Amino acid sequence: MWILVVVIVIVVLLLLFLWGSYNGLVNARNQVKNAWAQIDVQLKRRYDLIPNLVETVKGYKNFERDTLEAVTKARTAAQTASTSGDVGARSAAEGELSGALSRLMVVVEKYPDLKANQNFLALQEELTSTENKISFSRQAYNDEVLQYNNKVQQFPATIVAGMFNFKKEQEFLQATTADVERQAPKVSF
Amino acid sequence: MGALLVFIGWFIGLVFAANGIAGLVIALIIWGIMTLVAYFQGDNILLSVAGAKKISPSDHQQLYDVVEEMKIASGLEKMPDIYIIDDPSLNAFATGRDPNHAAVSITSGLLQKLNRDELQGVIGHEISHIKHRDVLLMSMCSVLLGTIVILSFYASRMMMFGAIFGGGGGGGRRGSSKNSGGGGGAAIIILVLAILLMILAPLFAQLIYFAISRKREYLADASSALYTRYPAGLASALEKLEQSTTPVKNATQATAPMYIVNPFRNKLNVNNLTSTHPPLEERIRILRSMAGGAAYANYDQAYRQVKNTNSGIISPQSAAAAGTVGLRAAVAGGPVEPPVDDKVSRTRDVNDMMYRMNDYKTIECECGAKLKVPPSMQGSMIKCPRCGRAHQA
Amino acid sequence: MICPVCNKDMFVIEYKRVELDYCHICKGAWFDAGEMELLLETAGLKDGTQAVHDVLKLPEAHTAEKKRRCPICGKNMKKVIIGGEKGVMIDACFQHHGLWFDGGEVADLMKIVSEQAGCKKETESEIMCFLKDVFQG
Repeated sequence: MWILVVVIVIVVLLLLFLWGSYNGLVNARNQVKNAWAQIDVQLKRRYDLIPNLVETVKGYKNFERDTLEAVTKARTAAQTASTSGDVGARSAAEGELSGALSRLMVVVEKYPDLKANQNFLALQEELTSTENKISFSRQAYNDEVLQYNNKVQQFPATIVAGMFNFKKEQEFLQATTADVERQAPKVSF
Repeated sequence: MGALLVFIGWFIGLVFAANGIAGLVIALIIWGIMTLVAYFQGDNILLSVAGAKKISPSDHQQLYDVVEEMKIASGLEKMPDIYIIDDPSLNAFATGRDPNHAAVSITSGLLQKLNRDELQGVIGHEISHIKHRDVLLMSMCSVLLGTIVILSFYASRMMMFGAIFGGGGGGGRRGSSKNSGGGGGAAIIILVLAILLMILAPLFAQLIYFAISRKREYLADASSALYTRYPAGLASALEKLEQSTTPVKNATQATAPMYIVNPFRNKLNVNNLTSTHPPLEERIRILRSMAGGAAYANYDQAYRQVKNTNSGIISPQSAAAAGTVGLRAAVAGGPVEPPVDDKVSRTRDVNDMMYRMNDYKTIECECGAKLKVPPSMQGSMIKCPRCGRAHQA
Repeated sequence: MICPVCNKDMFVIEYKRVELDYCHICKGAWFDAGEMELLLETAGLKDGTQAVHDVLKLPEAHTAEKKRRCPICGKNMKKVIIGGEKGVMIDACFQHHGLWFDGGEVADLMKIVSEQAGCKKETESEIMCFLKDVFQG
């Protein structure tokens, strides 16, 4: 009789543990998805901004063609990568695009007329803000991924993760070129 | 501070009603009412007292963008409302009882003066007040402080009256219970103690209040550095604020901790204990000496270095939770002071926005002058003071 | 902004990207501290923030003229004479909010500037020259 009770208690405890870890994992994975959606919104916004920007800049005579073409090409590549669903490929392509854009912004400094154009200034503000939002939401996404991956890998939740096929998520690792350039010199103590 | 309030109530009760509990109940009721008002209406009262106006993204795109960036960086769920205060002084503050009912406000003067990086630093500071619910904490503290001050003020007045008219035996009903010598002696001791407390309580309450406020300011600075990853932005904004001496028009002692810098700017009052904000110069130095990263740990280290102390300002747990965060460099045109042209454009943009919001009409005169006419004058003929041409406003 | 003399709404005149508040009744003008800063810095003068401060350093003028109140903070302003010996008396806000020029003062000021040869690169001269520029017609 008491063996039956012990077995029931053990089974109930096991179920409770399963239930708890499963929900915890689902929760963490949803957080990752949410954070990803945030980045996605900003990346899409950037795709939309670029044609306008190129159109505005193109009107200025002698504007460096190569820089503009690099931006357009990088945008197309990034958009193609966005349909693949592979975070790694995507973050690389987006990194390229950020690099091309920041080079464009450096070139723009040489055209004072452009900097006086209201339309361009509005676009530039929007682009700066979108870049910032991308980098801030990337930070949030990576934090969520780190927490989720820790959950997936740590015992005992890792058993549950294996049973229900929770896979590790990839970080949006590729720091944009702009970030690399902006990185402060490392100070060693 | 809560303990102080309870204490004061009890003493008032003891002196006036020979019953500590009655006074305590009165104190708690007053505090309760004030707390409820502050909780539900505090932000509305503060915003309307300050004369703040709500703006939409189209009014000032950059300000809206920067707030949204900081919302993302801090992980707030809801976008706070944005208000502008038509005031040439330089300041900003946060309001709202919780992160879902929050707003940031900035004076038009400050908006004119700051470049993008500096604005981001200031907004990051305010968003931190929202994120960490400092607004609620500080308004509850200030209500508590207010109650203590009011109670002690009136109680001490009444006791004086009692002392004068009751022949020195004590106020109110206390006089009627003078039937034994021992009782009278105890009454005098209680009275003296009560008067002492009435004088000291508001002072103590203020000191505690100021200490809490200063600590939250350091935390908000650290968070701003963390969110923006660019402490130099806030540092440079604070330097601009330091140069300005214009006091904020509608600030009161109770609303002071909400502002990014002390709105009173009394240069003579450098006493550290009696200020809601740490000295600006020190805040700037800490931000400027953050090296190697923008995380809480980096701020904490800079704080210890500048203050020359071993006790940090940020708890080790939150420092560890925030991890390591790299610094970034300024956006284009950031660290070097932008040409005067930028400054002029920024001022014109902000002023024109204020005119639009106040329904001004702009007339461009052929002589090159622009006339901006308030609604009260629209419909009449306006003569351009420069060339004398008449315009139909 | 409300005219400190007439208590009526003033309108704004923007010239060369600098603004003045102007009262069409008494013809007085309010020169805001922030706008003065823009003017002086555009002219290449360093530290435009000190403009009102510099004017406030001048001695209080002895006069029977009524005290004016600053249209921003509502506090009494200081009467000072700018433009040298035969200068004009203007009102400066103690809180550094700006300067007020009465209607007649602007006219006097323009006379003084015309007598001087050109504008010097210094605070007072710049301010007076700008006012002349705006109200020359």
